Amino acid sequence: MRGGRSCRERAEASGGWSARKPPSRLIFRNTVICNWRGFECSLSPRNIKEMRESKQVPGIFFYNGHPVRQVDVVGIVVQTKERDAFFNYGVDDSTGVINCVCWKNPMALETSLSGRPSTPSSLTVLEQMKKLQEMVSQKTKLEIGDVVRVRGQIRTYRQQREIQALCFYKVDDPVCDVQISRMLELPCLYREVYDKPFQGPEEGQSGLEGQNFSINMLYKKVKGFLLENKIQTFYQQELETIDSLVSLAALHLPSPSCQEVKSKNDSSSKRIHSVFKEAIRMLQEKGVVFQKPGSSKDLYHVTDHDKELLKVTLDVIKEDCRKPRHAEKGCHFLHVLSCVQQSYNPSLAEVVMHRVLELLESNSDVVSTMEGYYVAF
Amino acid sequence: MLPSAGVYYFPWEINSSVPEGEALRTFGRLCHYDLARSEAVLTAQHSSAQYRVCVDTKFVEPFQAQLGSCYLVLGEAEHREGEGPVVKARILTCVEGMNVPLLEQAIQEQRKYFSERQERMGNSVS
Repeated sequence: MRGGRSCRERAEASGGWSARKPPSRLIFRNTVICNWRGFECSLSPRNIKEMRESKQVPGIFFYNGHPVRQVDVVGIVVQTKERDAFFNYGVDDSTGVINCVCWKNPMALETSLSGRPSTPSSLTVLEQMKKLQEMVSQKTKLEIGDVVRVRGQIRTYRQQREIQALCFYKVDDPVCDVQISRMLELPCLYREVYDKPFQGPEEGQSGLEGQNFSINMLYKKVKGFLLENKIQTFYQQELETIDSLVSLAALHLPSPSCQEVKSKNDSSSKRIHSVFKEAIRMLQEKGVVFQKPGSSKDLYHVTDHDKELLKVTLDVIKEDCRKPRHAEKGCHFLHVLSCVQQSYNPSLAEVVMHRVLELLESNSDVVSTMEGYYVAF
Repeated sequence: MLPSAGVYYFPWEINSSVPEGEALRTFGRLCHYDLARSEAVLTAQHSSAQYRVCVDTKFVEPFQAQLGSCYLVLGEAEHREGEGPVVKARILTCVEGMNVPLLEQAIQEQRKYFSERQERMGNSVS
């Protein structure tokens, strides 16, 4: 009994006719299952019957390339058949009819209620429970002509599509408001969502969103790798020989469809190369790595491990703090930056300088006196 | 076996062109009910003309006929000799208070969507 009710509450709480889209590729790759809660579509029975079932993942169906696991239908009960443990309800929404398998409520609660000793306080609870039971049975006892809302999983039984209800309840719709608003809503939903080509996060409009996600992953991984292994300098090609990094980069490539896989080996290495390049660009933007004008253009320096840069910066601050005008407040960030640029690397980026100062500060080599001012002792 | 889906028809579309046995649903005000003959008549106004839909109520009896109230009927079309089509009701529900113009709009929207889709599919095939 409780199951029935909480189910209903969930149905209501999760808000009407929304379509939840899954990250498409994520289903098929066990590496990055993230926070999808199952994907549900408000589909019409007509379309549910036409959907293609996934061969790899049973229970997943495709509408126009959109993977669908659960559906939500509202319609009129046009047929009822009682079985021992469940009812079969034919639900008609004026575009199609589909069979819904609705399990009967377990009777456990009822039997346990009658066998209890009755103290005054338990009596009110008992009454409440009985009311609840009545309510539930009213809402789940359906007759022909009733309006019902069913949420559940699609399955194929004896070559017929049906919905295995996870929850269902009678909809109070005396003036057809619910049905009418759904009729108005569905065409929009189809136009806006289901009929558009499905775009998972890894292959959005030219894969932008998804690729950013994978580059972000690679960026974090490369950063961790550089810092853990105390790498001072590296070439991109060197990173591309590290298996753990390459496999990550390859995994998150905007995946070609199955047919393409065979022929595109060399282009996939190009893609890996470009993913690495992007990740390194991010590392530069965040000041984790930088390049020096004098050295090879493909050589990258890791900020945290560049002893020379750290030393130059610390020396600048130490020296200038002795000067009377910096003695009190310390040196301003921009002053430090320009000194280091002059003496060490004219193209040194601000972000790199920030990172250096943070590092020095966390080592207690410098102290920031106020926003943007540093002193060293 | 599940019955076919009851497609929405406007009351003024229920005429001899409706295929025999077509599952349909429509609506109108109950203006007449003959218990003995299990016959009901729904009426609807459309562009200043009055339309009548004959309903066979055999399958939905007994029911409380509230004359003058709005009803929704779902059933199969049956052509009888010498008369217009009759809807053999499987479901007859009183929906007094329903926003009829909104329902009409919703039906139009639904049709518009399906015809768009039909067109799209036709285009993608050719």
